[in-house]
Amino acid sequence: MTGGREDVLSLADEYVLGLLDAGEAAAVDARIEHDAALRAAVAASRERFLPLDTQLAPAAVDDGLWRRIEANLPARGEAPPVAAPANDNRRSGWRLAALSSFAATLLLAAGLVWSLGRTVEPVVIAVLLNEAGEVQAVVEDFGNDTANVRLLSAFEVPADKTIQVWTLPSRELGPVSLGLLDGSRSARLEGPTLPDPNEDQLYELTLEQAGGSTSGRPTGPILAKGFAKAVH
Amino acid sequence: MRMMAIAFQETAADCNVRRKEGGLAFRPDDPDELEAAVLACARGERSGLRVIFDRESGRLVAVAQRIVRRRELAEEVVQEAFIRIWTHAHQYSRERGSARGWIYAIVRNRALNLLRDGGREEAVDDIEALQDRDHANEVMAAWQMLDRDSRLRECLDGLEETRRSGILMAYVGGYTHGEIAGRLRLPLGTTKSWIRRGLSALRECMS
Repeated sequence: MTGGREDVLSLADEYVLGLLDAGEAAAVDARIEHDAALRAAVAASRERFLPLDTQLAPAAVDDGLWRRIEANLPARGEAPPVAAPANDNRRSGWRLAALSSFAATLLLAAGLVWSLGRTVEPVVIAVLLNEAGEVQAVVEDFGNDTANVRLLSAFEVPADKTIQVWTLPSRELGPVSLGLLDGSRSARLEGPTLPDPNEDQLYELTLEQAGGSTSGRPTGPILAKGFAKAVH
Repeated sequence: MRMMAIAFQETAADCNVRRKEGGLAFRPDDPDELEAAVLACARGERSGLRVIFDRESGRLVAVAQRIVRRRELAEEVVQEAFIRIWTHAHQYSRERGSARGWIYAIVRNRALNLLRDGGREEAVDDIEALQDRDHANEVMAAWQMLDRDSRLRECLDGLEETRRSGILMAYVGGYTHGEIAGRLRLPLGTTKSWIRRGLSALRECMS
């Protein structure tokens, strides 16, 4: 971090590119406040790379985003929110959800196998959670191209949208659609022929445009996801 | 994402057109307006933040989305960034560079933090990871979309391909050294020094 001018320039570039780890970046943040050379180097580096951002075609943004920003602005004179780390933590919601998903799966799997009775048993069951870790749906994959999707939560599905069910049989195959749900109703889906579902296979519900994703890949927001547990 | 990549190519074609006729829309030649807006934020004037939003939010969402990939996450990043612009506007001064650069840096940092916290590595089994290749194409497209006669374009053109890729993957795609090494199939140490040398060559070329 110390050293000559070249080192300062190099450090500034790596900082601007986002290549420093969290500790190194925080050190630069602190040093910038009293190190004019580093401050100037960071400013110059930003300007150098900025065209890669500003040449980008703008996304269409509606006023809802502005309203959300405005609703979260601290009033004038109020201390800046100390909640920034909490916001960051919120992002690890899915990770937390994945952990609790495991426990939930064990419980639900036991209950479902019992309640489904002695008819055909699914090969795997996946409990799908939302980002907050709440159980939203259960997918039972029977491995014979059929899967039951039970919604345990009422989703709001706008008229021009549809809930699409996905799974990831393998990285080679990529995400595969198991089918579309009718509004927010549970369904038995007849999907494409796939290899037998595996333990820990990913299942996911996304909100896609009516008729389903045209690209054959999930493109809309994830409503819920979870990993499969083998029934036997 | 694949669709996005395609859309991306199309916009590349009409980029110059957009630049000519869109001159009025985003006034690239009026950096003072953004600076005045940031200073207004520092005084607690909400109208300043609104000016920044009107001028830059669409492009900021696009920048964030190129890093975090999902639109709803990108909007979340931009939302948090605007709060930060508002609460930290008093820290801005000209010696920190242009107001535009300062604003974009805040959005980029939020997006990178979100990635690092959420962990792209952890998403390895996720469906999103499968879209990696599309993302790589998009990252490289960012360089090809640069104005032909821009200095950055010229200097990136002059770099050896691996170095250029490494730099673009980091800046445009938000990849870490480790992720870049994996994608370029190079040892970590080699990757770090190649990128460092590439950055040095770029600085020299642009100075």
